Amino acid sequence: MVQVIKTVFYFGPLIFGFGFITPLTAQIIEKLGWALPFGLSPLSFGLLLGGTLGLIAQIRGRWI
Amino acid sequence: MSPTKDLSQLSDAELMRMEREIAARHLDKFPYFAVIWAFTNLAVWLALWPLVFMGVIPLWLGFIIASCNITLSYLPSHEAQHDIIAKPGTKLRWLNQLVGHISTIPLVLPYRVAKITHMEHHKHANDADLDPDYSTHADGPLQAIWKSLYNRQPRANGGFNAYGEVLMRKGRMDVVFESVLWQIAYFGILFALAWSGYAIEAALLWWLPRHIALTYIQYYLSWAPHNPDMQKGRYRDTRSFRSIIGNIGSLGMQYHIVHHLHPRIPLYRTPRAYWEMKPILEARGCHVHEL
Repeated sequence: MVQVIKTVFYFGPLIFGFGFITPLTAQIIEKLGWALPFGLSPLSFGLLLGGTLGLIAQIRGRWI
Repeated sequence: MSPTKDLSQLSDAELMRMEREIAARHLDKFPYFAVIWAFTNLAVWLALWPLVFMGVIPLWLGFIIASCNITLSYLPSHEAQHDIIAKPGTKLRWLNQLVGHISTIPLVLPYRVAKITHMEHHKHANDADLDPDYSTHADGPLQAIWKSLYNRQPRANGGFNAYGEVLMRKGRMDVVFESVLWQIAYFGILFALAWSGYAIEAALLWWLPRHIALTYIQYYLSWAPHNPDMQKGRYRDTRSFRSIIGNIGSLGMQYHIVHHLHPRIPLYRTPRAYWEMKPILEARGCHVHEL
């Protein structure tokens, strides 16, 4: 159990990227009515942004 | 006592006797305002969710109110941490504990984590190795804000991340687990809201206001009274200071020195106690020249 919790917290930035930044980005784009290039849907763009930011934060150990 | 009276010729024992006499006049006063504040503040923050979701108030207004709510959520718990509402074994002890537990829900800070680490802060204020809040130390206001944000990064060693080490040092793994459960609940709620179509609301009613609140609280409750150039020791580890936004704007922290000397004086009595104690504090060589 402790190991599971430690693992979940270790991957916190990635989880936050996919769990929160992804839907947040998608909903902001929908609200603003932005058209995305290459026929990307808001959710696909959210996954791209959330995943990228989460991965960077995961590697660097910080968001800022 | 006149605030300009020179007491520098008095002995340590005499100064201590006078200080305790003043403190005694401000102790054991029931902090009605802090209790009402705790319940009202939480109720307003909780009410924001249905009010925003149903379109009764706009999200931007909800964001401003939520930021104020979460910023104001710590202080009632702080009164409870010092048993100011009711001491152990007294009739209203349940109220003390209830205020302690509920008021910091929006801040995602469990009462027992706050209490244990705060007692360590009082015991070891400004000790680089033992003070849980030492990581807020910074050379200036902007650096303090940056430090507060930096300490919240995933692999930072300071801020709340340092609290875990303090709890383990104190052998309180039960409280570490409690904190982990709070974190899981917080992020679980955020993620559930976000994937249900309420990501912007979750971000502006909780996630961002919480970060604003933590920065504000750490700036005024930790950095401003203990920085810069403060040392260790009863009369050296904190100070009074003049805030450009006044005592209320600084969350009542202008007179923080009184709180460290006599932690059971309620927040609302610290200004009065300070002005009565000021000649004694000056005679002790405390940093009290800004007010």
